[in-house]
Amino acid sequence: MSSFDYRKPLRAINFICNAPQAKAVSLVGDFNHWNPASHPMKQMPDHSWLLTVELKHGHHRYAFLVDGVLTLDPRAQGITRSDKGERVSLVPVS
Amino acid sequence: MNKPEVTQSKTRTKRDKTLPTSRKTGKIHPIIIYPFVQPDDFDDLNALYGLVEHLDADRQTYARPVTVMDRKTYYEASRSRAFREFRAKTVERFSDVVDCWCVDTCQMWYSGLGPAFERGASNDVYWLIPGDFNYGVPVGQEVLNRLHDLPEIILELGQDVCIGEIATDHTNSKQLIDTYGTFALLYNWFPVEAQEIREYTERPRSEFFAVHHTFLRELLARKWYPCEQTVVMLLRAVFSRKRISQFFVGHISDVPGGRESLSSAMQQVERTETVLKAMWRERNGTKKNWTDQYRVLENQSERVRRSALTILANLLG
Repeated sequence: MSSFDYRKPLRAINFICNAPQAKAVSLVGDFNHWNPASHPMKQMPDHSWLLTVELKHGHHRYAFLVDGVLTLDPRAQGITRSDKGERVSLVPVS
Repeated sequence: MNKPEVTQSKTRTKRDKTLPTSRKTGKIHPIIIYPFVQPDDFDDLNALYGLVEHLDADRQTYARPVTVMDRKTYYEASRSRAFREFRAKTVERFSDVVDCWCVDTCQMWYSGLGPAFERGASNDVYWLIPGDFNYGVPVGQEVLNRLHDLPEIILELGQDVCIGEIATDHTNSKQLIDTYGTFALLYNWFPVEAQEIREYTERPRSEFFAVHHTFLRELLARKWYPCEQTVVMLLRAVFSRKRISQFFVGHISDVPGGRESLSSAMQQVERTETVLKAMWRERNGTKKNWTDQYRVLENQSERVRRSALTILANLLG
């Protein structure tokens, strides 16, 4: 069993959103104060959207903005609410 | 429900006992519900108490773990030397044992959560860990590695309750009971609340959960129903607009002794109906002409229960 390494406080996390028809997808969450312009995702050759973000140890709330619509990640490890009361996804980072 | 690939570039395979110093203050109280039927071998319990040992060693994060053991289990198993040794050298070493006579598992929860609450403080979190799961197999180990997330989510994200979601296949008896019994009855008695609960979980009777001190105080102060406490807790959480989270803890099945027979499945559906009726009366019994609406719902409920039992008989019988 290993403990979290505080000398490496950030860990790269891949976020993948399967929205092949979307024109624009961005990642919003506690880590960017839910700013839609902060983390635009890139469309991959298979038409899914990908973004790698470095996050701190702990649990983070996030969602995808698919053409402006807040969308849960169906592959997320959890569901919770944002401070606005919207249902959002959860990702653990260890 | 099949669970998703993990989106992390590196999956979590290890427990991180030590939490960041930036986390909100508050201790986590682990409460282990010892299996009612002592398993023949100790593989699953050794794996579980391996986790408990680590929790007990980290007093900065965790309060002393509590194990709730039914006296009937104790007397039945105490003829076995292996059991006596396991209890003395492992269970009592890494946790405080609450010995009690309980009519059911919900009373064991009550017997563990109550004393832990009395030791706790306003920012603390209480983490229920059922003992009768197959933690000894690789998939069970994965679950053990994830369970710590439940209380951590409450502390880090300021939640009131976090439910652990377990994936099973569609033919699993627990899944069938929840689909055709629990949710069907919930939609009858509490349709609005049922919809909200289903937005979070497909397993409203999950035995994996963590709850914040303030919400636990509210739960303990109310009538403690003798069964289906997770359903009761979720309803109370929705009634009072608590912050609910759900976290996927893995794929797991009961140890063979805990699998549902048709009789057990029917009993669980009937218990759920009984609890929902009682809760509905508690909530609406002071309203004018409440009995008229109650009779309508009761008639519908009977039809829902009969349909559920027919389906379960076809699938499990």
